[in-house]
Amino acid sequence: MGALLETKFTTETRRTQRHKTVLALLFILFAGMAIGCAISMVAQRNPLYGAISLIGVFISLACLYVTLAAPFIAAVQVIVYAGAIMVLVVFVIMLLNVEEEEWPTRMRSLVPIAVLLAAVLFAEAAFIIYFVQASPATPTRNISDVGLTSSIGAGLFTTYLLPFEITSILLLMAVVGAMTLARTGGLLPPRAVVVPGHQVLAKDVLDPRAVNDSEPIHARSTAEVEKILGIEGAPHVTDEDL
Amino acid sequence: MTPQLSWYLALSAVLFTIGVVGVLSKRNVISMFMCIELMLNAVNLTFVAFSSFFRDVSGQLFVFIVMTVAAAEAAVGLGIIIAIFRNRESLDVDDASTLRL
Amino acid sequence: MDDLTQVGFKLAGILVAFTVVMTMVAYTVLAERRVLGFIQGRLGPNRVGPGGFLQPLADLLKFIFKEDIVPDKSTRFVYFLAPVIATTAALMTIVVYPFGPEIHLPIINKTIPLVVTRFDVALLYVLGVTSVGVYGIALAGWSSNNKYSLMGGLRSSAQMISYELALGLGLIGVILQSGTLDLYSIVEQQAGHLGVTGWNLIWAQPLGFLIYLIAAIAETNRVPFDLPEAETELVAGFHTEYSAMKFALFFLAEYANMFTVSMLATTLFLGGWNGPFVHQLPWLGVFYFLGKVILFLFLYIWLRGTLPRFRFDQLMNFGWKFLVPLAIINIFLTATLQWSGALDYVSKFLKTSVGWGG
Repeated sequence: MGALLETKFTTETRRTQRHKTVLALLFILFAGMAIGCAISMVAQRNPLYGAISLIGVFISLACLYVTLAAPFIAAVQVIVYAGAIMVLVVFVIMLLNVEEEEWPTRMRSLVPIAVLLAAVLFAEAAFIIYFVQASPATPTRNISDVGLTSSIGAGLFTTYLLPFEITSILLLMAVVGAMTLARTGGLLPPRAVVVPGHQVLAKDVLDPRAVNDSEPIHARSTAEVEKILGIEGAPHVTDEDL
Repeated sequence: MTPQLSWYLALSAVLFTIGVVGVLSKRNVISMFMCIELMLNAVNLTFVAFSSFFRDVSGQLFVFIVMTVAAAEAAVGLGIIIAIFRNRESLDVDDASTLRL
Repeated sequence: MDDLTQVGFKLAGILVAFTVVMTMVAYTVLAERRVLGFIQGRLGPNRVGPGGFLQPLADLLKFIFKEDIVPDKSTRFVYFLAPVIATTAALMTIVVYPFGPEIHLPIINKTIPLVVTRFDVALLYVLGVTSVGVYGIALAGWSSNNKYSLMGGLRSSAQMISYELALGLGLIGVILQSGTLDLYSIVEQQAGHLGVTGWNLIWAQPLGFLIYLIAAIAETNRVPFDLPEAETELVAGFHTEYSAMKFALFFLAEYANMFTVSMLATTLFLGGWNGPFVHQLPWLGVFYFLGKVILFLFLYIWLRGTLPRFRFDQLMNFGWKFLVPLAIINIFLTATLQWSGALDYVSKFLKTSVGWGG
């Protein structure tokens, strides 16, 4: 919303001064929440607490998007990330009963070095941001409608139609992939033994007395099977009887 | 003073760094996955900040597509994690270091 | 208007809306017991106060003074967080519902619309907040350290996220017709002749209304979709281990969810505060709105007294294999009829103010 501020006052009135302070305070509040929840997520050993902290990060980022005049993206962030993806993650954590991690005991001496390197990474990013600071051009209109649903819809269906269609195919792939991974049974029953060129029958399929005996019977005719099973002379059932 | 663009970029850098630290230091594969989502969100914040300060809607459209891709990745990734868990009975990434069971 | 005055008005609006909703939720509980009694051929509670209308107060006192039992091995933080999430998510949505048209306040001499806030992604906000409400149930089931709670919590969350999809898809028809996500504008566009003929239910979205109604009943875990919390199946489902005030919060959250969903149905399909003579007497709008909401609540209670419940696999089958394809067919039909101009033809007779597509 800093970008939407009216620029027609040459001298700052008290009202715009108050606006700016409130916007800065809001930014500090939501940014602090986001960083706090992110650090909490990395520091937590229990993955469910990490998931709850990550939901906190997503919601504070959604609030930041609202202050950046992107209400549609904020709502989609809450619906998709906090409301769907994290529900999936929480389900998986609950179903698999994931336990807490212990502190890494092997390489504990390396943790200070890791923190130092993380600080170096952040210092690099800050360096780049500070020295490449190009100020954006003065906006031509005061109130912009960039973040509204209508402009996103217009862009999505005209200029960016190809990524949109490709994304829909990607989602179809994801649905098919998830269903395939979730399928437990195959096409054959689990006890079947496939011997190429022969009859595919296990003993306990043919003979109800042989419980759990999945030894395959290699035979080329019914008479051979009868001899192996020891049931010669049993009455044959034909299609007319059934 | 109003929040500048560099403030948002700095916040995004911090979140991304925290995500990288998490991915490298966690042993639980679901926690690593969550840190990857955090990195994706940091990048989303950069896109939305640029889109707002430069009055261009392309940033937000790209964020939309990134979210969709992240959702697809979450679905398939968690399916793979469950399949690995069924076979190895453990969610520790160090235990999954060989191709055989 | 000055900033501080605006903030003051919004806070006052939140307070008034909160009071109205909480009072109506409390009396919905009483109404449910009385109406269920009537359907089942018995009297409901009628001792406390004339006709039993002080019963909610008695229930509140009971909940406050009951002993708060916390299971020993439960995860403390999550156990306390779950009812908070459920209740917050249920109540956060009332800020976007338009309770009435613009009214003129006599003392302060201002004209304000009777909605706490208007912004242009209000419908998505409602969907987002109800998505977050799923966590209250899932975390409650998990943190109670009780296998019935866990089963009930997981089943309930799975049901809720499945029917959220059908709910969202069913609403797209209305959005296509109105061209906006702002609930106040959608209500304004439903002002037909005499305030009655413009309702979206009648000429625009009959199928969408049906889909939304079924998905909403499943979303709020009510009969016939209440297997995860039925007493005969899973003890009490995810809130087995909760007692006293925390159970009261879950109870409140369920009825507030019912109320919220009824308000959304009224706003989108039944014309919100529209009705006969509402422009001459704006205060009538509030009564029309609340009257329609009460109609929906009565429908909920009636269904509870009448229908048996679904088995869980039947429930999931119904949601994914019947309701979602039906909602997609509804979107196609609506889009085709709108693009071909058939709906414009009908709306000329039924509506006075037209929206973007109608």
